[in-house]
Amino acid sequence: MRKKALASIFSAIMLVMLFTTRGIYAESLKLDVKEHVFKNGLKLLMFEKHDVPIVCVRINYKVGSADERPGITGVSHLFEHMMFKGTKIFGTKDFAAEKPLLDKEDDLVIRISAERNKDIPDTKKIASFEKELEEVRKKLRDLVVKDEVFALYFRHGAAGLNAATSSDGTYYFCNLPANKLELWAFIESDRMKNLVLREFYSERDVVMEERRLRTENSPFGLLMEQLNAVSFIAHPYRWPTIGWRSDVQNITKAETAEYFKKYYAPNNAVIVMVGDFNPDTAIKLVEQYFSNIPSQPTPPRVKTIEPEQKGERRTEVEFESNPYIAISYHIPQIGHPDLYALDVLASLLSDGRTSRLYRSLVENKRIAVMAHAFNQISKYPDSFVLLAAPRAPHTVEEVESALYEEIEKLKNAPPSDWELQKIKNQLEAEFIRGLNSASGLANEIGEFEVLADWRYINTFMDKLSQVTAEDVMRVAKKYLVKRNRTVATLIKKEHGNGKAEETKETHKAGLPMTID
Amino acid sequence: MIINKYFVFSLVVIVYAFSIVHPANLFAQAQSHELGHERPAVPPVTSPESEGGKKVSQFKFKPLNFAPPKVDRIVMENGMILYLLEDHNLPIFNMVARIRTGAIYEPPEKAGLANLTGYVMRSGGTPSMQADKMNEELEFMAASVETSIDRESGNATLSVLKKDIDKGLKIFADVLMHPAFPEDKIQMRKDEVVEIIRRENDNPSQIANREFRKIIYDSKHPYSRRVEGTLESIEKITREDMIAFHKKYFHPNNIILGISGDFNKEEIIKKLNEVFAGWKKENIQFPEVPKVERQFERSVYNIYKDINQANVMMGHLGIHRRSPDYFPVTIMNFILGGGSFNARILSRIRSDEGLAYSAFSAFQTSQDLGMFFVSCQTKLESTNRAISIALEELDKMRNTPVGDEELAQAKETFMNQFIFRFVTSANIVGQKVEIEYEGLPLNYLETYLDNVKAITRDDIQRVAKKYLHPDEIKILVVGDKERFDKPLNNFGKVNLIELK
Repeated sequence: MRKKALASIFSAIMLVMLFTTRGIYAESLKLDVKEHVFKNGLKLLMFEKHDVPIVCVRINYKVGSADERPGITGVSHLFEHMMFKGTKIFGTKDFAAEKPLLDKEDDLVIRISAERNKDIPDTKKIASFEKELEEVRKKLRDLVVKDEVFALYFRHGAAGLNAATSSDGTYYFCNLPANKLELWAFIESDRMKNLVLREFYSERDVVMEERRLRTENSPFGLLMEQLNAVSFIAHPYRWPTIGWRSDVQNITKAETAEYFKKYYAPNNAVIVMVGDFNPDTAIKLVEQYFSNIPSQPTPPRVKTIEPEQKGERRTEVEFESNPYIAISYHIPQIGHPDLYALDVLASLLSDGRTSRLYRSLVENKRIAVMAHAFNQISKYPDSFVLLAAPRAPHTVEEVESALYEEIEKLKNAPPSDWELQKIKNQLEAEFIRGLNSASGLANEIGEFEVLADWRYINTFMDKLSQVTAEDVMRVAKKYLVKRNRTVATLIKKEHGNGKAEETKETHKAGLPMTID
Repeated sequence: MIINKYFVFSLVVIVYAFSIVHPANLFAQAQSHELGHERPAVPPVTSPESEGGKKVSQFKFKPLNFAPPKVDRIVMENGMILYLLEDHNLPIFNMVARIRTGAIYEPPEKAGLANLTGYVMRSGGTPSMQADKMNEELEFMAASVETSIDRESGNATLSVLKKDIDKGLKIFADVLMHPAFPEDKIQMRKDEVVEIIRRENDNPSQIANREFRKIIYDSKHPYSRRVEGTLESIEKITREDMIAFHKKYFHPNNIILGISGDFNKEEIIKKLNEVFAGWKKENIQFPEVPKVERQFERSVYNIYKDINQANVMMGHLGIHRRSPDYFPVTIMNFILGGGSFNARILSRIRSDEGLAYSAFSAFQTSQDLGMFFVSCQTKLESTNRAISIALEELDKMRNTPVGDEELAQAKETFMNQFIFRFVTSANIVGQKVEIEYEGLPLNYLETYLDNVKAITRDDIQRVAKKYLHPDEIKILVVGDKERFDKPLNNFGKVNLIELK
């Protein structure tokens, strides 16, 4: 046992270390996160780090695309965008004047949509509604204070301002100079209390452009969307977080507002603070601004359980791009003991130049330019994914069988001690390096809290260090089998066989989307 | 572990676009004011328009007490410049090196030479440690040594835990001084580069970035080329070319080293002297790089690709990094299209009309004249509209002075964000290295806030007139022009570029 005297160094940033007898030195590194839960159910997680006067704050909501239903897929992500559009007191010169106009706008949009959906739409009627709508929007625009939330944050020195949505959570990021924490509390509590779905229709169009950019015109985005849609037949992980095209185009403001009320309550939220602040002061500040926001009934969990896969599934995507291949295997949800061995397995396969896929597919056989494996750890059972790009003239078929060859090897022989120890050393170093970034720590604490519990980070290191070569073999045999897999390939579309089209439903149900 | 995330604002897309052109300084990585103290809140020029804004203006913020740590600069006997910053918070150690070299110095028929050399330096190992062994050594101790050569600089990094500093330094120095360039690793990388080039046309923004460079710069200038080279030029590069290229530029007097983390200054200098022992100063003759010729002329280009969203890039020559107008241009661009939601271009194209997810403008800077460009992606049916809005905004920027409030917003953003330049010691040292490499005044960070503070509305308008030329702009659109809202030739005669 070689204990290194690192504890004193770490304690300076509130890190507690435990030692075990394994490994090069400390195997168990732990974060000491302070926790406070307010009366309305809002949770505050705090980690002090006083080297630079900044504070990285996150507000995460335990809601993501898995909580949606067909017809409103993409609403969590759309809502993420809407949170930047202001409140009753931000982003508007006069909410009292704005409110009736917003109602009028919604009413006209609904009328236009209804008329368009009739078998024989009355084009004159539509034209007159549209004219009226344009006038309403002109008035609305005069009342808006453009992107004020963003401007205020920026002006006070906020950085890394953004938000993100995944299948399990929605994350609002903000890094501030340490003296501006109250600004954050004021704006964020108001967003939770008094949100206004302003500029809803144009933002929905923005999301459509985002969909075109990241999914419809991206070989990679398209492939992953199709892979998920075929891997899952029942569970909501089957739809993309950004939503299906027709749903995004048609989500109504009423549906969005209802969704907000149900899921974006303090009892479904967690605040994470990492940086230069005093926890007692922070608790008081959050109390002052957030405690009067009422909690809501506990939102339902997803009840659908993905049925066991009964045989290999395959799908092909034609696109104007060179080939790719993606393979997924169903695996359990966060907290399941097998996941740790699967993490090690993924690392073994594709972390670094000494990883198996790199050595075999990229370096020795030279049939691929990229080959990766990753574990998608989620709230509900998700998937283990392999992804590769063949090097011409090699084909996806060659790459696919080379991938299986590597997997079979793992089933038949245990990984070497060297490989396992390397992975453990890397995890430990990664943990230590991670402590250097307040922003990264805030993300990590917040993400694991959304999935399960931030303490997962602490137990994770222990559990991983206990993974044995036999465990790796066992999970390879258990999960990485033919009947549990889905294979998606992207193949090059011949030039001119059908153009990329906007689907027709756009027109039928389409609402006036832009203000000209 | 959560990989499929969608963001409200695409930093990802933008960073990607920047990285293709040049990764420097167009973001509002702003500057606050004199080091050490937060500026006292300046009362807004006009009163806030919203109730919330009014409340915020009443807030009193305590000053930030922070003095950035002092970074030591040392010139070694062998000419190597060191920047050192001890930080004992965590047992980690980082080094970053800048080497004056780049693709600008390679002969055009061997395009890709610099980039290939930079890659194989590390991937090929050294005579004393073969590549496989090096990979194993480094990865087992969770360390990394990486090298690369870009358009206008060479880079090398070392990241290692404190306990492995000696081993890490040894490998790092060995890679810099004695790369082996084995034939098999060269061939392997060449094959990969060929595949990367083959795959470029898969992605609309990659097409746009590559072709836009060719449109902006004369084909004889190295700025017009891609650093990876072409299918033909890659073929022609030999091992001897790479050895010669390395030999020419990799000398200690041509290196700036940034060192940060858990180390002791005296000790590390001693160690550096040991690992670099025998490495001597050398006189380097840099090949002459032709000057970028100033030429402005409106032209329009279209590349057909079967996609449902047009990828637009429009722009012309801009400024170089040491331009005395750099500060006013940066602030002007922040207002125009660099300041994300606060910027005029995004505000109109995205926020008002929902035409695009990402829309921004940038002055990419380099040693000689860089590019100014506007980039956006919009559905085919709104292509013309989006381009027109961007052109209108350029006109407006030239012809109408910016508002006091708008300028104050931009300047305060830069000044208050200044603290984020100091979030890690590696980050601070990295900036110092960058500043020295770019030939900027060494007190650049110390004077940055005053430079921002001094900018006036007149400055903004002067630089807008001088550096924005909407009438002489080059417009490139990837997408099916048959489906645009209005004919593209509204903007000028359309030149078609065939994808190969």
